[in-house]
Amino acid sequence: MRLTPWLAAAALCTLAGCAQMVKVESGQVTIKDTLSVTTASAWNRFDLPQLNLSVAPGAAEIWTQDGVTLDALAFFVGVSQGETLGKAMPGSTKKLPQFRSAMTPGEIVELYEQMVTQDGSAFALKRVAPGRFGEQPGFRFEHTITRKSDSVLLKGVGQGAVVKGKLYLVVFTAPSIYYYERHLPQVEPLMASARIRAL
Amino acid sequence: MQRRPFLLGCGCLAFAAAAGVHADEYDYQVPPRFSRPDPSSDEGGLWAFMDREEQRLKRSSFVIRDPALHDYVNRIACRLAGDHCPEMRVYLVRTPYFNASMAPNGMMQVWSGLLVRMQNEGQLAAVLGHEIGHYLQRHSVERLRDIKSRSSFAQIVGIALGVAGGGNLGALAQVGILAGGLAYGRDQEREADRIGIALMARNGYAPAEAGRVWGQLLEEYEGAKAAGEDVSTTNILFASHPPAEERREVLAAAAKRDWPGAERTGADEYRAALASHRMGFLYDEVRRRRFGESLVLFDRLLKASPRDGQVQYFKGEAYRLRGREGDTKLALEAYRAALEMDNTPPEVHRSLGTVLRQTGEDAEATRAFQRFLELKPDAEDAELIRSYLTGSQS
Amino acid sequence: MIAVMRRALLSVLLLWVGTGVALAQSNLAPGFTKLPPNSTIALMPVDIELFEISAGGVIEPRADWTAAASKNIMADLRVRKAKFGARATEITGEQDEAVEALNNLHGAVSRAIVVHHFGQLKLPTKGGKLDWTLGPDAAKLREKSGADYALFTWIRDSYASAERKAMMVVGALLGVGMGGGVQQAYASLVDLRTGQIVWFNRMVRGTGDLREAEPAVETLNALLTGFPL
Repeated sequence: MRLTPWLAAAALCTLAGCAQMVKVESGQVTIKDTLSVTTASAWNRFDLPQLNLSVAPGAAEIWTQDGVTLDALAFFVGVSQGETLGKAMPGSTKKLPQFRSAMTPGEIVELYEQMVTQDGSAFALKRVAPGRFGEQPGFRFEHTITRKSDSVLLKGVGQGAVVKGKLYLVVFTAPSIYYYERHLPQVEPLMASARIRAL
Repeated sequence: MQRRPFLLGCGCLAFAAAAGVHADEYDYQVPPRFSRPDPSSDEGGLWAFMDREEQRLKRSSFVIRDPALHDYVNRIACRLAGDHCPEMRVYLVRTPYFNASMAPNGMMQVWSGLLVRMQNEGQLAAVLGHEIGHYLQRHSVERLRDIKSRSSFAQIVGIALGVAGGGNLGALAQVGILAGGLAYGRDQEREADRIGIALMARNGYAPAEAGRVWGQLLEEYEGAKAAGEDVSTTNILFASHPPAEERREVLAAAAKRDWPGAERTGADEYRAALASHRMGFLYDEVRRRRFGESLVLFDRLLKASPRDGQVQYFKGEAYRLRGREGDTKLALEAYRAALEMDNTPPEVHRSLGTVLRQTGEDAEATRAFQRFLELKPDAEDAELIRSYLTGSQS
Repeated sequence: MIAVMRRALLSVLLLWVGTGVALAQSNLAPGFTKLPPNSTIALMPVDIELFEISAGGVIEPRADWTAAASKNIMADLRVRKAKFGARATEITGEQDEAVEALNNLHGAVSRAIVVHHFGQLKLPTKGGKLDWTLGPDAAKLREKSGADYALFTWIRDSYASAERKAMMVVGALLGVGMGGGVQQAYASLVDLRTGQIVWFNRMVRGTGDLREAEPAVETLNALLTGFPL
């Protein structure tokens, strides 16, 4: 029965009232007092704990331009040794693995894969390479996700680094038709501008 | 309105007696071909609903579209279904859970989590035969009527109902499409087991394989428990079906009856048919993170094929990804053993390198990573691994 | 638990998805007011499911109702098509992968519009505008259909059986709330040259009956209110 997407949407409202999206103005923005990025364009932010986007459940913040079912820019800030990347999706029986500070980027991508496949979506890694996370040495990965709920093929790019034992990750996903290419020119410089304050 | 598969008034009783065989519940008479039910009937409603679900399934990215594997499974299902073969359509779905289903409109699904667990063609035939049994006896409609008649009462006394069937279908929801309709009652499952084994034996398969399917699942369950894993959500089928022990015992006993000519297991044929897909299925299996179950499965596969380096590699992966106290050592042992076997994927070197880094054996890790790059220079993480070697990145 | 779901569903959906009387959000993309004369519209197959909620809260698909509703909707769309004065085609048959992918994307875009344009989670950067697109890949659909625009309709509806209605009375006496049925639908008009969603409407309500021709017309009237002809 195809009510599920509507119900998932409905879950964002409690009977007490509904949450709102907040505008992220262009310029420098700080997430969780720790990670700052600079964006040339405005975004829309939702950081509702009851929202479980299958591409980034438990992210510190999620920004979007066109909406939750389309593009998502997810920030994971300061994941510590022993914590999971992201959180369990409701209905998932999988116990998420824990982050270890000594993990290789390849192992961190495995954490990401586990997080986004909880709902049965399929993940395919296209490329992972050393890169920069702002000024820090880090890694970059490109992937696709075939979303279980509606079979939409998403393309994704992520950049991350482990700094003083904590993981910082920014991942952008959007439908491979049109939306990924449309927003990538804004996303790349944003990712390149990442600065970690806890240093 | 139960349809009982008894032999009645067809003279079959006499024939069977003459052959020295007792006519009983295993002498299943396949019903005649079905015609499409009236759309205004409840059966018609279910049928048409499943037609639309089938349209969705057809479009799903999760359907395995390899004609070779599809035809292989389809041929087996077709033989088992006999005259009803034209009514069936088989869909193989890439999802790592143990399930097969058949909807009242003839849509059959077999999930890759089941395919990877079958040890031979006979076991697959047992499962397909079971599903065909549900279909031939129209259990879905029976079930719908049964639930409807009982649920009004339940409502009045305020019992909260789950989705039709009363079982926990949360995991099934992961598939995104109804898996064959409604969950069946236990008597229906028992009946489908009887029909399944009859169909498989009549088509020459060794009936002892049927009980083994459940015995194997039970072993996985026990393995998970022994490993201290949470088994409450282990297998959705355990909830709605008769207990696996019962099924194993009943089917094992049924196998001891006289089934002339039913000897084939088809282990080689099955392995060959699955070969090009199996690595993907094993990858999915280990990503389920039910390591106790996976390790039992891998050990069973290795028992049948002791030099299968592909399975041995994934055994190592299970330990590496579980990452408990002592698992690093077990992972290393497993990978090293894989190196001595056949059909070992080059990824074993990458995993070796990853784990050796954890244990601080950097020189050996470097050698392992180098070996991986030699074997797979275009791997999606080649650039990353090269950076480990040059030491320019952490 | 279907009963619980349904109890919450209508009230939450109305809050969430927005009703017709809430803040009027535009159904039209900026710069689009009506279909140009002589444009062709492709009618995508109606995506519709009708369910019956039996006395025990079991939701049962009703093929005869769905078939009837499908017929009623398509018949009405054809009548409108004739009135459009525009040429219209119908997309039927198996679709190729590229069209399927577009279809899936359209579903995701529609849900975004329902939630972020008409519903509570408005996107400040959109400035209240209906500004969504399938992108230039929509041209594939244009090739296939020969049309300038495509009309998508999606409808889900459920009805309480007579016994169910009786149960609802009993339930009320026992203090148990039970949902009686919800009609939800959207309609979307896509410019196939650019992929732009040029007109969109959505509907959630507790009334309506698609099983009979006349009430089905009423539902489509409601859904196609403001269709830019």
